[in-house]
Amino acid sequence: MIGLEIHVQLATKSKMFCRCPTGYDESKPNTATCSICLGLPGSLPVFNKKVLDYAVKLSMALNCTFPKETYFSRKIYFYPDMGKNFQITQNESPLSRNGYIEIDLNGKKKKIRIRRVHMEEDPAKLIHIGKITDAKYTLMDYNRSGMPLCEIVTEPDMESPEEARIFMNKLNSILQHLGIFNPDFCTIKADANVSIEGGERVEVKNISGFKSIEAALKYEIERQNKEMKSSGKIERETRHFETETGTTHTLRKKEAEADYGYIFEPDLPVITLETDYLAKMRDVLPELPDARAKRIHEQYKLDKSVADTIVLDKHLADFFEECAKKIKNYELLANWVLGDLLKCINYNSITINDVSKNGFMELMEFIEKEKISPRQAKEVIKVFVEKGTSPKEIVKKMGGEAITNDKEIEAVVKKVLEKNKKAVDDYERGNENSFNFLFGQVMRETKSRAHPDIVRRVLKKLL
Amino acid sequence: MNIINKVKDLDRKLDCFITVDEKSKPLCEGKLSGYTVSVKDCFCTNGLRTTAGSKILENYIPLFDATVVEKVKNEGGLIIGKTAMDEFGFGTFSANCAYKIPKNPWDLNRSCGGSSGGAGCISAVLEKHIAVAESTGGSISAPASFTGTVGITPTYGRCSRWGLLAYANSLDKPGIIAGNVKDAALGLSIIAGYDEKDSTSINEKVPDYTKSCRTNLKGIKIGIPKEYLSEGIDEKVKSHFYKAVETLESLGAKTEKVSLPMTKYALSSYYIIAVSEASTNLAKYCGIRYGATLPLKGNFDEFASKVRTKYFGEEAKRRIMLGTFTRMSGYRDAYYLKAMKIRQMIIDDFKKAFKKVDVLASPTMPVIAPRFDEISKLTPLQNWAMDILTVAPNLAGIPMISVPCGFADNMPVGLHIIGNHLDESKLIHTAYAYEQKANLNRGAEI
Repeated sequence: MIGLEIHVQLATKSKMFCRCPTGYDESKPNTATCSICLGLPGSLPVFNKKVLDYAVKLSMALNCTFPKETYFSRKIYFYPDMGKNFQITQNESPLSRNGYIEIDLNGKKKKIRIRRVHMEEDPAKLIHIGKITDAKYTLMDYNRSGMPLCEIVTEPDMESPEEARIFMNKLNSILQHLGIFNPDFCTIKADANVSIEGGERVEVKNISGFKSIEAALKYEIERQNKEMKSSGKIERETRHFETETGTTHTLRKKEAEADYGYIFEPDLPVITLETDYLAKMRDVLPELPDARAKRIHEQYKLDKSVADTIVLDKHLADFFEECAKKIKNYELLANWVLGDLLKCINYNSITINDVSKNGFMELMEFIEKEKISPRQAKEVIKVFVEKGTSPKEIVKKMGGEAITNDKEIEAVVKKVLEKNKKAVDDYERGNENSFNFLFGQVMRETKSRAHPDIVRRVLKKLL
Repeated sequence: MNIINKVKDLDRKLDCFITVDEKSKPLCEGKLSGYTVSVKDCFCTNGLRTTAGSKILENYIPLFDATVVEKVKNEGGLIIGKTAMDEFGFGTFSANCAYKIPKNPWDLNRSCGGSSGGAGCISAVLEKHIAVAESTGGSISAPASFTGTVGITPTYGRCSRWGLLAYANSLDKPGIIAGNVKDAALGLSIIAGYDEKDSTSINEKVPDYTKSCRTNLKGIKIGIPKEYLSEGIDEKVKSHFYKAVETLESLGAKTEKVSLPMTKYALSSYYIIAVSEASTNLAKYCGIRYGATLPLKGNFDEFASKVRTKYFGEEAKRRIMLGTFTRMSGYRDAYYLKAMKIRQMIIDDFKKAFKKVDVLASPTMPVIAPRFDEISKLTPLQNWAMDILTVAPNLAGIPMISVPCGFADNMPVGLHIIGNHLDESKLIHTAYAYEQKANLNRGAEI
């Protein structure tokens, strides 16, 4: 069983309780700070209302319900990452509860329940010289102190690391669609509660980003299975995930439920969630992934699974819909976007936003109108994504548009057959491979510009 | 004699300042021109040492002014220094100060009250002086009563807490001590007001309180809570109080007995909430970022413990431990959460009373200022019981004023007038009328 506690940094302009910027320069420690986020004596927090707007929208997207009132609490624990030695968070009165995210498991829908969503401030960043378990000293960077966070707590509804990954991907898409998370300066972190049959619950902390979750859980479950085999039990503990090695290590053994001595935060007034306010927030809620996938499926007559895949990345979906205004063969477009385009983007470690829409549409027009062959297109898209050169230029450099003229192709085929008498003989003796060889020779001769269907037809005819 | 030298001279005799600002100059002309102003040492003063009476902040120099300090500066107030107080406000006699224990100008062997003891002390001996003070459970009323001065504790949220070193945030109220009602009213008019930097401050216009200094009390109904005159109140204090009631009646006020039945729970409820909050506020003092520190050794917990053990005083440690206990899981429901509920019931008590009367009156303190040798014999519980008359209105966050109403054993006695939410004007009106008629305000000779 896997349950997640996910901390999402929200992309507001300023921090949660002060006016310091959230988009600070990571390379300049302790520069985006003030008396409030440093917790200096005499300073008081002032709640950034934008944080509430964002957290309310997130709660709505996660299908949560709201109480009439919500308030902040102080969670007290001594740790150098907190200027005040307490964190302003929410305890008995979270912003929202009882929601869910629906995920798709090979065509089957499954609801992962959300227990609660609450708002809290991020602590400062500690830089341990060496490992966290044996560092001689620790450096403190308060830039992160007071960054707004939403903590999303799920029920232990996930049954495999794959499910957790799919859940996180869906959550990522929701965050993107809401526009409340900016991967340029926001981070997402998860703590996972993992237990296997017969063992106690183990908490794995410090799983950063959307991608590490599956690796961390796979490692941990594997470890627990081995442990169970050798010692017959899994003890309750807290473990730390090390991103570099992909392993988990004991942080604290078998401790009782930590006592944070919560009190109501007396410096901040209770927040009343007025019906009007919630209605207003609901009105400005953008189209969310599920609705969008449904619409894309209907509007562009794409497979449901294709539509689901497209909306997993909001920017990719935006890109697709922009291009679909011009490229009317939607299936072809979707295939190219989800296929070669994604492959090239990943290969070059860039994002969809780095790709020129106009350039891609130019390329798609070539493909749609069969002005270039698919093979040519595969070459063109590589250069286009990597260098950003316009497809027209690339095609020109590669020797021009596709050859779709039978006569022209016949001439090349004849030339190839002349040159490869042995292969022709082999074919006549029934060797199918020879056909493929001859086909390849024609394509090479035309620098892949010949349309493969025509080449095949002509080859068969002339043989 | 130059004013700073005079202050230093008084301080030598009375130990009322933790820091005297010798270089202070008024910033501009304003309503406080001609006045000297002192600031309790729990308010941040930009560039001027601020210790809150604690060794853990011995060399702490704030980077900003508290809002109330800024307001005083903007009205031309000459800030002469930072007054002595119980460490972080933890006390009723200013005897828990890590630096100096202010002496009562009426009898140097006696306490000035606390925790704003230095503020009461200097206001008793310096004319045209306004002391910016602070009350959590009675820290303005107690010293005003013991030093024969006037102390106004306004409604919670009337004055900004920005820049106040917190004791118990839901109870802390900046206020004023001065030699007479008019000066106190002037001081309050200046420091009161909404502040966007304090989310708990009240967004209501501030009247000119000096305009409430009127002498006729016709139409004013005064309630006398019977629970505030039970045993434990010194008979001499009581008799001065009853005389004061007669004076109030002679000015046209009507008096009647009222009951505040939740009073008996006020003290425990107050202390539970106060120590719960205080123990979280004091968590930040750990020797890492500012304040007193020690050579780095051991892990974070060990280091922080050493610093805190060395630099916090005994009462601070007591309240940290108690406050940690009252909010521990398993005890939190029985203490912290129950105290919060009782607080609401106490508020309801007052609401009910103010439907019948305009203000309430009682003695301010159950005794006259005790001698230091008497104080040293008190148990912590007896010590805390001194706040019996002041904690309930402080818990309710309603305003109160203490004015001198006579002398017992040559020591001042205070009359406490308590008002409804944001009814400072009525308090000032009643207190001023009384003060003019009784004519008991006189500075201490030193």
